[in-house]
Amino acid sequence: MSELVLTSLRKMYGPTVAVDDVSLTVREGELVALLGPSGCGKTTTLRMVAGFIEPTAGTITIGGRDVTYLPPHRRDTGMVFQSYALFPHMTVAQNVAFGLEMRKVGRAEAAQRVADALALVRLGHLGDRLPRQLSGGQQQRVALARALVVNPGVFLLDEPLSNLDAKLRLEVRVEIRELQRRLGLTTVFVTHDQEEALTLADRLVVMANGVVQQVGTPEELYESPANLFVAGFIGRSNVLHGRLVSPGRFESRGGLAVEVPVTDRAPGPAALALRPERLALAAPDATLPAGINRAGGRLTLVTYLGATTEYRVALGADDVLTATLPTPPVSDPLRRLAAGDAVTLIWPADQCRLLAPDPVGDGATDEGV
Amino acid sequence: MTAAAASMGVAARRGGAGFSLGPALVIPATLLVLAFLGAPMVLLFRYSLNRYSPRDFMIDAVTFENYVRFFADPYFIGVLGTTVQVAALCTLVSVLAAFPVAYLLARTDSRWKSALVIAVVFPLMVGNVVRAAGWMALLGNDGAVNATLRWLGIVSEPIRLMYTPFAVILGIVAVVLPYMILTLQSVIESIGRDVEEAAANLGAGPMTTFRRVLLPLSLPGIIAGGTLVFILCMNAYATPVLLGGPQFKMMAPALYDQFARTTNWPFGAALAFILMTSTLVLTLVGTTLLARRMHYRKLDAAAR
Amino acid sequence: MIHSRINRRALLAGAAAALAAPHVARAQSGGRVIVGTWGGDYQDLLKLNIEDPLIKPRGIETLYDVAVAPPRRTKLSAERLSRRGTFDVACLSDIDMFTMSQQNLFDPPTEALVPNMKNVIKSLAKPYALPHIYSGKVILYNPDKMNPAPRSYNDLWDPRWRGRIGFADGLYMQVIESAAIINGGSPNNFEPAKAKLMELKKLEPRVYPSNEALAAALKSEEVYATIMWLARGYMWKKGGLNLTHAVPTEGATPIIFDKAVPRNAPNKSNGWIWMNAMLEPAAQLGFADRMGYVPTVTNATMPEAIAREISFTPEQQEKFVKIDYEYIAANNDQLLEWWTREFKG
Repeated sequence: MSELVLTSLRKMYGPTVAVDDVSLTVREGELVALLGPSGCGKTTTLRMVAGFIEPTAGTITIGGRDVTYLPPHRRDTGMVFQSYALFPHMTVAQNVAFGLEMRKVGRAEAAQRVADALALVRLGHLGDRLPRQLSGGQQQRVALARALVVNPGVFLLDEPLSNLDAKLRLEVRVEIRELQRRLGLTTVFVTHDQEEALTLADRLVVMANGVVQQVGTPEELYESPANLFVAGFIGRSNVLHGRLVSPGRFESRGGLAVEVPVTDRAPGPAALALRPERLALAAPDATLPAGINRAGGRLTLVTYLGATTEYRVALGADDVLTATLPTPPVSDPLRRLAAGDAVTLIWPADQCRLLAPDPVGDGATDEGV
Repeated sequence: MTAAAASMGVAARRGGAGFSLGPALVIPATLLVLAFLGAPMVLLFRYSLNRYSPRDFMIDAVTFENYVRFFADPYFIGVLGTTVQVAALCTLVSVLAAFPVAYLLARTDSRWKSALVIAVVFPLMVGNVVRAAGWMALLGNDGAVNATLRWLGIVSEPIRLMYTPFAVILGIVAVVLPYMILTLQSVIESIGRDVEEAAANLGAGPMTTFRRVLLPLSLPGIIAGGTLVFILCMNAYATPVLLGGPQFKMMAPALYDQFARTTNWPFGAALAFILMTSTLVLTLVGTTLLARRMHYRKLDAAAR
Repeated sequence: MIHSRINRRALLAGAAAALAAPHVARAQSGGRVIVGTWGGDYQDLLKLNIEDPLIKPRGIETLYDVAVAPPRRTKLSAERLSRRGTFDVACLSDIDMFTMSQQNLFDPPTEALVPNMKNVIKSLAKPYALPHIYSGKVILYNPDKMNPAPRSYNDLWDPRWRGRIGFADGLYMQVIESAAIINGGSPNNFEPAKAKLMELKKLEPRVYPSNEALAAALKSEEVYATIMWLARGYMWKKGGLNLTHAVPTEGATPIIFDKAVPRNAPNKSNGWIWMNAMLEPAAQLGFADRMGYVPTVTNATMPEAIAREISFTPEQQEKFVKIDYEYIAANNDQLLEWWTREFKG
């Protein structure tokens, strides 16, 4: 297993930029997810690593070896395809043995390794079946075994879960994570599903329009999104547009004054991102300590979600905030709130994230939830 | 409403059990085939048992002497042999020539793809005779090929290209190639590109990927296209006559001679049946061998 | 091939029905006539010289059933037992016409039916058919390449012309006949031709699948000489081929294109009208100018310039080789087989 380094990777199709200046280091044994909406360049990046697409510029190294212009069969990557891409004319065991055969591994050793790999994915008993005789989940595990058996330098997964039904997806997700940990695989995982990415990855790379928006741990991305696109793509965010009037003081277009953390951002147009679960409901006459914002408004929608309940509150003409709170017990008077009731929202100033007013992406923000 | 739905369900089920339109739909086609293919074949077979007379044309009889004559005559055995060899060689050449083109067509993302497919099909719109005439213009002693060779100073005397087995094979391959390309293309298209990528990803170079993945997966297409092409080649008429010249004898021209030039219908009919039967037998043997080979390879690999 | 697939009786019944229906429905006065013929120039000239000036004015509609000879011959054979045939006028070469006549297929022409018959050159007439046009078999050669010029068929058997003599496959009988004549054979014995042709085979003669392929080879000077109808040579010369002809010292063999009226012709009386029209001098001359065939009637006088090119002098006519049709019909099968296997093989 080895470190994967992408440096200023770029791919153009004619005048269209598919991947723009992507630099990324995947440390040994680390699982990095490439996350983004379709067409963001994540799959193109992965395929450049595998060698199926030649980059227009930039370099790719695996374990210190420059593989940028090597053909795919000499790169030592193990890839799991979205469609699994099993060889339909070969048995499960032959599929798994293929990579070993290419590496001229001795027959006895190969047989042992195939058996081990199949045991690893709990398919030891199905080696003689043909792929078409297996269920989707089983085919997926064969694809995993086939990619893993050769001990690839880098393990690549291209939306490996998208063809599975919801229940199986959860199972396989856990399985992949366990395998990856156990074998210490340097892994790049492409997905458009943020939940999948958050649960699986050590670090996430959020991409949009071929550009990396932010790289970080799930917590970093969630707590400190770099821009409106990330704020909306990872989890959900309330967004208030307005301006920073002075350090620590933000005013929304709707005229709402909000206390925000003091940063070195210069006063001017800005957007404020606020996670729904960081808001709370308070009595209108409650006294609040310093550093807590307050805003009065009218409930427009109450959505019961079981463990939590969502309250959509109109603060003025333009400003709408959504609060997600643990569902109150039946005895609680809050439980009787309904659309049209006047409510007061409160939230700590340090939960406010001040961001550039325009999403860096193509406007694909999740504004107002 | 539920009652109505239930009764409808019963009706549908009853309909399914009692009468379905499916088999009935086949009846007209079957009758048509029987009338226009089956009946003439029976008649032709009957003719092949008759006797020939130059004066009286055909004498009713039930004799196998036409068949005996064929198999007792080294000349006709030779004609059949030439036919089989030419057909086999043409099939082989067309597989080899068609595969790269079919692969390219199947894998290209070019917006010219449909234009390319039309270009492949286009020769089929020109009759075999016209095409043969084109080859004559190319291959003749003062044809384009020889003119070019002489102009380049490669040869001083024209080399003989027309009326050679080479010309026949070239001509027939040109006729059957589109069929082969289209058959292979559709099969290759059904093989996911990702399967090839998976092979490459696992360390297989282009040749190995071709041999271990692409070729075995294309085999059904090769069998289908090969069968189609082999049958066409066995029955080739215009191309061998026009490009092979009078010396070059294949079965279809030989049986035309029997029908038209010597008006020996009984023997011509026997030739037709021998040609048809040998085509059928060889096609079956060939496809069975190929299919079995595919199967063996699978078992062999499994044993390893 | 196509004919082989069709039930003979069904075909006859179908053809009869197909012909009968429009016959009833037709309002035109003179009815119609169906001519079974070759296509191309020949058909054009039939229309130009016979149909348009002589048949159409009588209100008779002419239909052509166009094909090369073998399928039409096959059709005649297949229909011989039918009450109603396809053709009112059948056009075939003299050899083919004789073979067909042996099956007793044709009505004999008489002067009552065909008044112009009185002008037919006597030596070309037959009891079962009328001659339409004729030519003779000669040596065609390239005068720039063949020096000395050939005078006898024997001159083609010269090692100097190794690989330079070409034949059309369709004229196998004519080549065999030529070889027979120079090797002690006769019109009713072609057997000596076999040894003589095997001798020629060592000199690598070329055999071409069609007259057109042979013409292309003469044009490209792939070959220098052939045995061919003088009329065909005339057309080729007009087409720009560098050719001269020699009437062989052995004598030319005539080729006559005959026409006959089948016994089961659907419009027999119109068939005879057509036969009479084709013997009109004006109609005859049209074929001379364009195709190089000589009139078969005594009252058609060709322009001097054309006559020189395509006709035979009285002396040459005197030396015409007599054709034994019976011998040829009986031996066609055997000789074609020999030609295919031994000579071409």
